[in-house]
Amino acid sequence: MALLKIRNITKIFGGLIALRDVSFDVNQSEILGLIGPNGAGKSTLFNIISGFHAADKGKILFKDDEITGLRIDQIARKGIGRIFQEPTLFMQETVFENVFSGFHRHYRQPGWKAFLHMPGANHEDAASRKKALEMLEFMDLSALKDELAANLPHGHQRALALAIALATGPELLLLDEPVTGMNPGETQVMAEKIRQIRSQGVTVLIVEHDMKAVMSLCDRIVVLSLGAKLVEGTPEKIKSDERVIEAYLGRQAV
Amino acid sequence: MLVNALTIGSIYILMVLGLDIILRGTKILNFAHGQLYMLGAYVLFLFFQTLHWNFALSLVLSGAVLALVGALSYLGVFAILSRRFTVSTTLSYRLLLSAMASVGLMMILQQGTLLAFGTQERGIQSPFPQVIDILDIRISVMRILIIFLSVLVCLLLYLLMYKTPFGRVLRAVSYDPEAVTLQGVNTFWIFVTCFALGSALAGLAGGIIAPLFSVTPAMGQNVIFLSFLVLLVGGIGSYRGTIAGGLLIGLLLSFGFQFLGGVAELFVFMLVILILVFRPGGILGEATE
Amino acid sequence: MKLPNNVALKSRKKQIAVAIAIAVLVVLPLCIESDYIKHLLIMSCVGTILAMTFSMLYSSGLISLGAAAFYAVGAYTSTVLVMNTGLSFWLALPLTILVAAVLSLGFGAIFVRHAGVAFVIISLLFAQVVVIAAGQAEFLGGWGGIIGIPRPDPLGPVEFASKNSFYYLALAILLLVVLVFNALYSSRIGRAWRAIKLSPNLAGTLGINAYRYRLVSFVAGSTAAALSGSFYAHYAQTITPGAFGGWLSIYIQLYAVLGGLEFYIIGPVIGAVVMTFVPEYLRVLKEVEPIITGILLLIIILFFPDGILGSIKNSSSAGLDRFKSGMGGIKAWITQNR
Repeated sequence: MALLKIRNITKIFGGLIALRDVSFDVNQSEILGLIGPNGAGKSTLFNIISGFHAADKGKILFKDDEITGLRIDQIARKGIGRIFQEPTLFMQETVFENVFSGFHRHYRQPGWKAFLHMPGANHEDAASRKKALEMLEFMDLSALKDELAANLPHGHQRALALAIALATGPELLLLDEPVTGMNPGETQVMAEKIRQIRSQGVTVLIVEHDMKAVMSLCDRIVVLSLGAKLVEGTPEKIKSDERVIEAYLGRQAV
Repeated sequence: MLVNALTIGSIYILMVLGLDIILRGTKILNFAHGQLYMLGAYVLFLFFQTLHWNFALSLVLSGAVLALVGALSYLGVFAILSRRFTVSTTLSYRLLLSAMASVGLMMILQQGTLLAFGTQERGIQSPFPQVIDILDIRISVMRILIIFLSVLVCLLLYLLMYKTPFGRVLRAVSYDPEAVTLQGVNTFWIFVTCFALGSALAGLAGGIIAPLFSVTPAMGQNVIFLSFLVLLVGGIGSYRGTIAGGLLIGLLLSFGFQFLGGVAELFVFMLVILILVFRPGGILGEATE
Repeated sequence: MKLPNNVALKSRKKQIAVAIAIAVLVVLPLCIESDYIKHLLIMSCVGTILAMTFSMLYSSGLISLGAAAFYAVGAYTSTVLVMNTGLSFWLALPLTILVAAVLSLGFGAIFVRHAGVAFVIISLLFAQVVVIAAGQAEFLGGWGGIIGIPRPDPLGPVEFASKNSFYYLALAILLLVVLVFNALYSSRIGRAWRAIKLSPNLAGTLGINAYRYRLVSFVAGSTAAALSGSFYAHYAQTITPGAFGGWLSIYIQLYAVLGGLEFYIIGPVIGAVVMTFVPEYLRVLKEVEPIITGILLLIIILFFPDGILGSIKNSSSAGLDRFKSGMGGIKAWITQNR
């Protein structure tokens, strides 16, 4: 069952065609990798899915609901979470506060009740705090919970970003280069976490440059080159596909 | 009257282009910009009226001196401020602090000039007092000169920004300062240049308008409010918008005062609100990547 | 768990401190003879509320120069209600709040969409326009303003004839605003504001609608400013458009920054008190005053941007480091790029 359907997405920046008629599906509970040489349009596609950019043509369906053109927060509330390429955290907050804020979208009590600090709202706050601690536990960040996000080393910051995104309780998770810049040890750990997340029922779409990670982690892979979809298939198929090799090598030659 | 509108519009165009260059390059909203305009007028007064130097030279000086003042103000104030900012400093914090620093600068320049020169208005003998008749309309040559100069400056700026490598760097900095740094360009001096250039424009605007209106320390204050308005309406980061906005303001002001008197400003504001509702225009918003 | 600066009253120590502070504030006027000082205290209260308005908008990432606008709106609305329709001050007050809330909702809905620089300009323009509108409108007294605004009607046995009673009224209003603001800051609304301010992009991906939350902060802040304006009108008994324009918006910002930007409630208190009292004791010529203020502003921004409270918080080695980094900045650009 296709959770996310991307149909004929085209995006033009100035004179540059960033994405050209891209279409593919992301199936429920799969880990789909999105790869391609630099400039292929991967991050642009992410930005379009999560609402940071508007597509010029095409549409995107999430659980058969059209989400093209929705605001960032609306898309988030539909159940799509994402992490960014650059470390995007609440730098001046503690690790705990960061994750805690991730549970924001689950609040059911209306705002005015929160303002009046009524029991219902207080109860929700307490429940969220508990869940935040559990999330920290899951991501192995409990020891750092009172540390400022800005003070964390790179690998931990990435883990924190993932924790925050998970806190929103997404059905689809967009990971933008989750292991780039990590050493093999950290990469292994992150990959394991991603598998665990998938086994909890979350569908994952990953953009990555680290080929080893992509090949071992992903069920299927979609290759973009110069804004267009080149080929999609299983890792084995992709690894040996001539066009893919060409795209990467061709790029390097240039 | 149309000429009057164009004249006023031209001045605002120069002013706001300067403001825009500074803002886009350094992300600093320079509240002292009006004072730079005022100082430009005083420079012209000093050299042309008092020392009787050549008008053209004095005008160039009003731009050049202010370029220096602008560069110094960046070096002395904003550069120091920028040292504090790290990657994680929020945009609102940067904006607030740099804006407030510029406000402090504004106050110092304003009152300093007042103390140095006194509150009396200074008049400047117009170097071109002639008036010509076109189609039964009497137009002062001075005003035509202003419009002409403004057009010239716009063209020069356009050439600078879009046709030279320097201009490319300047534009790149307004999009992504970090990327530019990575390419080996020293953004520090780019910022200084932005300030110098923007300030020069303000000084020039002040210098060229000085013969038409009197020179007082309060000039800056009068002009900054509408300059901001033009910046807003024209869209921050759109040169074409700035030009359009300047012209619009020129039109509104000259016609507005004819018909509405004091309420003109209110009217303008209402118009601005309408524009804001329907066309947000170029905004330096934070919420989009 | 680390609490942000503004979540008060959770710990015993804090509760006791607040209780003592309130007690001191209540007893204060009884220990002071000088009416002049009491006047300064009252104006400090007014200034504090205005600075808190600024801080509230800042807390959600909006930099507003428009607190003065609603200050004026509140003053004029209350005046008109009392003088033209004969309402009692005590009825006019809640009505003023209502009017302010509605107006700030309406204007805010348009303004808040434009964050960052655009909003700074919009709020500045708005403040200017309100002043001009008040000046142009004859029924609002024009540029001469309105004089002879009546004092509040006696509330039971309390007559508003002395400074003391005005002081208590100002204090009561201030405490009300503090209570409301604190309730907001410590709720998930306040947390959403913090998220929006620190990273609007990240906040968006968490399902936070920045526009909506910013609108709330705009309405809440503006309404508080109007409240203090209403008080001011009936205290000073004279209002002129000029009192709300000019440097006021800038001073409001200065109060907040001087106290400490990250302290949304106590910061404004400190800043307003210092800026209200200190200039009175440093009698300087009117012409020189803006220069001194300008220099002061620059010094604060460049060397002590965390304000008084912030600097204290960072004190010991860290505070000194901050000062050094300011000096270091100067040294750096001298030695750099040669």
